Amino acid sequence: MVNRGERRYLRAALRSVGLYALTLVAVVVVVFSLPRAMPGDPLAALNDPDNSVYINDQAVRAKVEAYYGLDKPLPQQFGHYVGRLLRGDLGFSIERKRPVSSLLRSHLPWTLLLMGVSILLASLLSFMAGVAATWRRGRVSDRSLLTGMTVAQAIPEYALAAVLLIAFAVVLPIFPLAGARTPFADHGPVAGVLDVAKHLVLPAGALTLSLLGTKFLFVRNTMVSALGADYMVLARAKGLPDRMLKYRHAGRNALLPFLTVVGIQVGYAVGGAVFVESVFAYPGMGSLILEAVEARDYPVLEATFLVLALVVLAVNLALELVYARIDPRVGAE
Amino acid sequence: MTAVAESAGRRVGTGRRASPFPVIGWIGLVVVATFVGLALAAPWLTSYRTTELAGRPLQAPSGAHLLGTNGVGQDVFTQLLHGARVSLFVAVLAGGGTLLIGAAVGMVAGWAGGATDAVLMRIVDLVLVVPKVPLLIVIGTYAGPSLAVISLIIALTGWPPTARIVRSQVLSLRRRAHIKAAVGFGATSGQVLRRHILPEVGLILAAGLVGAAGRAIAFEAGLAFLGLGDPARASWGYILRDAIGFRGLFFTDAWKWWLVPPVAAISLLLLGVTFVGVGLEQRINPRLSRHTS
Repeated sequence: MVNRGERRYLRAALRSVGLYALTLVAVVVVVFSLPRAMPGDPLAALNDPDNSVYINDQAVRAKVEAYYGLDKPLPQQFGHYVGRLLRGDLGFSIERKRPVSSLLRSHLPWTLLLMGVSILLASLLSFMAGVAATWRRGRVSDRSLLTGMTVAQAIPEYALAAVLLIAFAVVLPIFPLAGARTPFADHGPVAGVLDVAKHLVLPAGALTLSLLGTKFLFVRNTMVSALGADYMVLARAKGLPDRMLKYRHAGRNALLPFLTVVGIQVGYAVGGAVFVESVFAYPGMGSLILEAVEARDYPVLEATFLVLALVVLAVNLALELVYARIDPRVGAE
Repeated sequence: MTAVAESAGRRVGTGRRASPFPVIGWIGLVVVATFVGLALAAPWLTSYRTTELAGRPLQAPSGAHLLGTNGVGQDVFTQLLHGARVSLFVAVLAGGGTLLIGAAVGMVAGWAGGATDAVLMRIVDLVLVVPKVPLLIVIGTYAGPSLAVISLIIALTGWPPTARIVRSQVLSLRRRAHIKAAVGFGATSGQVLRRHILPEVGLILAAGLVGAAGRAIAFEAGLAFLGLGDPARASWGYILRDAIGFRGLFFTDAWKWWLVPPVAAISLLLLGVTFVGVGLEQRINPRLSRHTS
């Protein structure tokens, strides 16, 4: 027995799942066709005697080609490719001579840590700043927040990261220059966590700064339009305290659309993390990508794109499902 | 963005009271114009070539080398000037391309409505949700390091936001009386879009172009920073990459003239572009001091 609200929710949920599944298929098709659409051969590097990864032995080369199924027609190759992906086989790094999945296992957690901390911090800070700025609309504190956020948003992540690096690791050497841990240090568990946290401050700071602007401006805009609503006038007339008005009435209504913005920004944060990690030599996906670009290690690049896309799609889908659950209007039309 | 577009749409019909271009926009214009001037004058401002080994490595700034030399002895000031050319070239090419695709998709979707609109907007959703930087990296490594190709892929992945703004604008315009009259007199869709819709969305398109150009500049330098650029040209991203990748950079003072200038240059140029964009937005909708994307 499902009631009407439940049915609506299911329909909205199915629609989201369908859309994201379609997107995932599109991503896989792009990754599959890119090497095949380009001039030459996906394994051209292996056949090029000038390339460092050239395989001398003709028999081994044939074996590699058969492994990737390049001697078969395209649809069959695609089936083969999808089959491999479904088994969790993301290919083999030509440069590092290791399965890509094992590389990802050591790099992805760092990126998730960096992104998770930054997104959480940026969401909290921007929401509170947005609410506060709306309340002091037009005053100095609002205007300076607005200017600051606009500036932070204009400057790209790698430049923000470089500025933080110069300011707090070189001029004032408070934080470490690079990496995620002190190499070869044998810390106890507590000191170990502190060490990781200390290395995380600057990269997470840069990424948080770059994520703040959009969210802040969004909250401020939503709140400004919420303030004029009838229910706000009523709440004020009832003599409710400011805190209540701010967070219970205005803030709560800004919260739902805010969730959507947080979701959209996860994709943006992935890109920011790649840049920030490259500046700080942070051992996440960014560093992996940096080395893979240098070596033109295509399997690694394809896998990083696939996995990062999967992370972003999953987070967005989850948020959309939560959204559909909380917001009674979803699927109501 | 939709909010801006819609309220701006309302204004269009009420007769365009020309609100003046705000001060912040002028500041931005001056900054951008300065960069354009420096980029154009590059051959007269420096006698070195970007790849030329012009002096000893890691020389401090002097009369011969205004911003010193880098780790192999190339003149940093020369690289910075030519980097401005790269950034502005990409801004025009990729920014223009983004605007062209976005405006075309947005106008068609908004005008045609129905199934066409639904399909196009699903494609917009699809492109928007895929993380852009890893996608650009994958396509960039395969497509090769020419600036034109990089601009093309930036445009091909960057058009959805523009398409959305233009679509919502067209949606509000198509209900207007004069548009309906034009259709009633037998104008074809192409004629209406070109003669009536396009002029009305002019300012919105200008703002879209400025935003797209800014993003293009940031992406090009970012890709070059990751090693995906045209190695024959000195992009600011390349200078940044060389400097940060130089072992022991911070054991010397070299970061002051090697790392700081490209960071400052890209930040300043993008601030300038952003200010122009803010100015345009305030011009479009004076009530709104700043909108969200």
